[in-house]
Amino acid sequence: MADKHKTASLGKVKKMDYSFLIIVFMLLCYGLIMVFSASSAAAHYQYNDAYYFIKRQFAWSLIGIGIMLVVSRISYKTIYKYSLHLMVISIVLLILVPLIGVEVKGAKRWIGFGAFSFQPSELAKFAIIVFLARSVTANHEALKTFGKGFLPYVFIIGLLALLVFIEPHLSGAIVIVLTGFIVLWAAGAKIAHFAAIGLPALGAAVVAMISAPYRMARVTAFFDPFKDSSGTGFQIVQSLYAIGSGGFFGLGLGQSRQKHLFLPEPQNDFIFSVICEELGFIGAALVVVLFVFLVWKGLKIASNAPDAFSRLLVIGIIGLIAVQVIINIAVVTSSIPATGMPLPFFSYGGTSLVFILAEMGVVLSVSRECEV
Amino acid sequence: MSSQGANPKSRLFISFVVIAAMLGLLLGRVGWIQATKGRQYSKEAALQQTKDLVITSKRGTIYDRNMNALAESASAYTVTVNPREVQKSKKINEVSVHLASVLGLNKDDVYAILSKDSTYEVIKRKIPKEQEEAIEKKELPGVQLVEDFKRYYPGGSLASHIIGFVGNDNQGLAGIEMIYDSYLKGVPGRIITAKNAAGVNMPYKYEKYIDPENGVNVILTIDESIQRKAEEALKKAVEDYQVENGAACIIMGAKTGEILAMATYPTFNLNEPFTIMDKELNEEISKIPDEKTRTEAKNNALYKQWRNKAVVDAYEPGSTFKAMVAAMALEENLVSLDENFVCNGSVRVANYDIGCWNTGGHGTESFVQGVYNSCNPVFMSIGNRLGTDKFYKYYKSFGFGATTGFDLPGEAEGEFHKLEKFNEVELATASFGQGFTVTPLQLVTAYSAITNSGKMVKPRLIKSFIDDEGKVIKEFEPEIIRQVVSVDTAQTVSRILEGVASDGTSRNAYIEGYHIAGKTGTSEKIPRGNGKYVASFVGFAPADDPEFICLVMLDEPMGSSHMGGATAAPVFKEIMNDVLVYMQIESDVTQEFKFVPNVIGMSIEEAKTAVTEAGLEYSIIGDGESVVSQNPAASTALTDNAVVILYTKETEEDLVEVPDLYGVIATDANQRLVNAGLNIKVRGSSSITSSVLVGTQVPAAGTMVPRGSMVTVEYNYTSTDNIH
Repeated sequence: MADKHKTASLGKVKKMDYSFLIIVFMLLCYGLIMVFSASSAAAHYQYNDAYYFIKRQFAWSLIGIGIMLVVSRISYKTIYKYSLHLMVISIVLLILVPLIGVEVKGAKRWIGFGAFSFQPSELAKFAIIVFLARSVTANHEALKTFGKGFLPYVFIIGLLALLVFIEPHLSGAIVIVLTGFIVLWAAGAKIAHFAAIGLPALGAAVVAMISAPYRMARVTAFFDPFKDSSGTGFQIVQSLYAIGSGGFFGLGLGQSRQKHLFLPEPQNDFIFSVICEELGFIGAALVVVLFVFLVWKGLKIASNAPDAFSRLLVIGIIGLIAVQVIINIAVVTSSIPATGMPLPFFSYGGTSLVFILAEMGVVLSVSRECEV
Repeated sequence: MSSQGANPKSRLFISFVVIAAMLGLLLGRVGWIQATKGRQYSKEAALQQTKDLVITSKRGTIYDRNMNALAESASAYTVTVNPREVQKSKKINEVSVHLASVLGLNKDDVYAILSKDSTYEVIKRKIPKEQEEAIEKKELPGVQLVEDFKRYYPGGSLASHIIGFVGNDNQGLAGIEMIYDSYLKGVPGRIITAKNAAGVNMPYKYEKYIDPENGVNVILTIDESIQRKAEEALKKAVEDYQVENGAACIIMGAKTGEILAMATYPTFNLNEPFTIMDKELNEEISKIPDEKTRTEAKNNALYKQWRNKAVVDAYEPGSTFKAMVAAMALEENLVSLDENFVCNGSVRVANYDIGCWNTGGHGTESFVQGVYNSCNPVFMSIGNRLGTDKFYKYYKSFGFGATTGFDLPGEAEGEFHKLEKFNEVELATASFGQGFTVTPLQLVTAYSAITNSGKMVKPRLIKSFIDDEGKVIKEFEPEIIRQVVSVDTAQTVSRILEGVASDGTSRNAYIEGYHIAGKTGTSEKIPRGNGKYVASFVGFAPADDPEFICLVMLDEPMGSSHMGGATAAPVFKEIMNDVLVYMQIESDVTQEFKFVPNVIGMSIEEAKTAVTEAGLEYSIIGDGESVVSQNPAASTALTDNAVVILYTKETEEDLVEVPDLYGVIATDANQRLVNAGLNIKVRGSSSITSSVLVGTQVPAAGTMVPRGSMVTVEYNYTSTDNIH
């Protein structure tokens, strides 16, 4: 590593990018408010305790903030050091998931028990970024060749995605693939190479769709969700009702009616619909604007990053967030076929939130090293 | 640009642009959904999110013309349950026991309802206040009391056929309740509450309350007192004359068409319209073993009980129709009042002998006498002069063969001959009111043309609509249907009918002190010859300026007489007398003079008849066989209660002492003289009111005069009169 001198003065911590931190906090607060609003009804019906979900989400976000701040003080070089380990752990855990995983709604995505259960796919998403960032930095020139550089990376991404896919966790696999490609592209991979694998990938996507009836149903539901509004189109129809009901200013915070058992798990994948219903177009715009700022600030940090690894690391993380946000909003607005995609910072879920905040910690850590 | 030596910074920028653009597009997508489909989606969403609860509106009150409530609505509660909620509370048993005991239901039945997989069930409708409180107090889970209104009819059976009644959901099922349902019912309000996907109310308040609009209050033209009187009189008549098939009576304002009373016997209790009032019949029906037959019998009995005879039942009007025929002939100048007719008891028309009711014949009689005698041959001959076309034209013009557009359901039109079959014979019988049917209401309406100078008025039951503050929403004005006959014709017929009531067949309807006019009617029901008749009377008063028309119809009187004059006329008299007094129509009592007939030389029996026919009473002195002398003398004008003393032998005159009348109230003076065996003669003004006192008398008190002598009195009207 060429920039050793920069971290020579141990103990003295450089300033991190506070504007990025503020955006993270804004998203986190907005997310917590909306989780509370969206989940209170479901919590009331399910647990007879309107605070059931928000209490847990709040606790997780405190843990997440703690981890974020700790991570922000850990040099990205440490991550560089352990990048291979992360990859191996991820693969092992992903292999273990089908064997010892906890089954929820027909899919084994969780490992562990109780409060100590988490989704290995979340770790895998981070691991692929770290792994690729390190590997392509080391093999910068090879990446430009298809057979020796590009294709092996695609296989590695594919392997990880496949392991996630068989849980089954399609959206997780998609995120891994897209995030991986973003890192490869940012590292300088040729567009022609992407195109070369694009067609087979499309074929694989079609196979994936047809192979599972529930996915096929989602595709047909996408083209006409109202055709079977109480069946396969139900979620999308309910989501559109919520968005349509909101109008420009929304029904007011807490006033969502669709969250009352109409929207499935309103605090989860469909939280954006609840935002649209309660806070209207204004609320949705605020979400989009915050994410655009996050991406802007993140990529700014990347462009000022001290080295290629840290630059790709940040790009990967920002790409990861962006991919999830885009897919989530596209699904709930019926812009693409439905797939279960959480909205970062907003959707309820401890593992996801903690990982996101930890990843934000990584970005902040890099920001300390930036040459401004 | 990036195929060679990719510029990391440019790819970063591209990344940002792509991500920002995609997010921007998605935000645009949100806006687009809201702008283009927002209204549709929110409407559809609202449909699935809300639960509509209807709040019953208070049904309008029905008042009589003096604002006495005839039908009103009072709050009542309906007990509803949410079985799922009850089940969730795990208190099904407790709740069902409590509800059953309070409401007097079977516990197992309630338990069964509470065990259903549903969110809304009705346990019992319209419960009394005590039960409502007993349930309210307990705060049972999943039990709700919904406010509702119960219809009460304070009069019970009063005017039952007019008012009608309502069903379980307060919808009008008969009478005014049915015809004016849309006004009475008001507009129900709504409570829109949010519900979740499970159909349960949302935990937070989201309610929209749309106030119900109370129904319009209806003021009828009916007068509760007159209605009651008419119903009582009909009931009594049915008993007195053994009327088998019910009876009807209508009292209408002659100038306004306002129905003051419309009674049908038998009545039914509006608070229990589905109970058969005839206990024997009810028992008989309940004994029918086959359920289908029993239900059918019960329904038939109920429909019969609900039938408003005055409007729905058409019958042959008989002689009551002769007033119309007389009017037709006079209007067409086909007869003069003093023209003479000869009645031989029957007339041959085509190949039929059609008889008079008086088979012996009336001999030679004037047209007027013919009406007095209700002589069929007289009417057949003037009917003949009219011809079928004119007859039918007037028949229609008087409003027969069509509904009057009345405010009650089921009005009949009545039946008439097919015009191609309406020939000489049919015309002859139609001329005395047979061979076609009319409703009591049509006949009363037709009579209004006679009483109202030829202008027939539309009968109506509604005076006005008012709101809860008493503000008039709509006022109904008298409506003239048409000028049926000329003013002269109407007045002439009216005068003749007055004569009928005092001298003709309608004497039994004569009311002392009032000029009344009217016509009896007796028609044999079809099939002829089985002794079933409809006896009726239509009359009006006061004759010189009619205010009221009254019809009494008795269907199948089976007592000693079936004649209208003997049965319906007295009922008319009883009702009309009360109406006139109640409505404070000024009596013209003292203008009624009776003239003493000359009976000297007659046998006792002849003399009795003659005096009675003159409207006087008699007292026989001695035991001779013929009248030797009389007191007062023939042609003396006497007033009511006057007694003619008939002496049968040359005995010494029976002397009585003249009582002292000075200062006695006018009405008492008459009574004292009658008690003393004397008659009164009033000098000067004859209008008597009770406050007037006797001033002078001739002969003086203490004088001995022959029994039956006249004592002349003069009244003091005012203190100033007393001075001279």
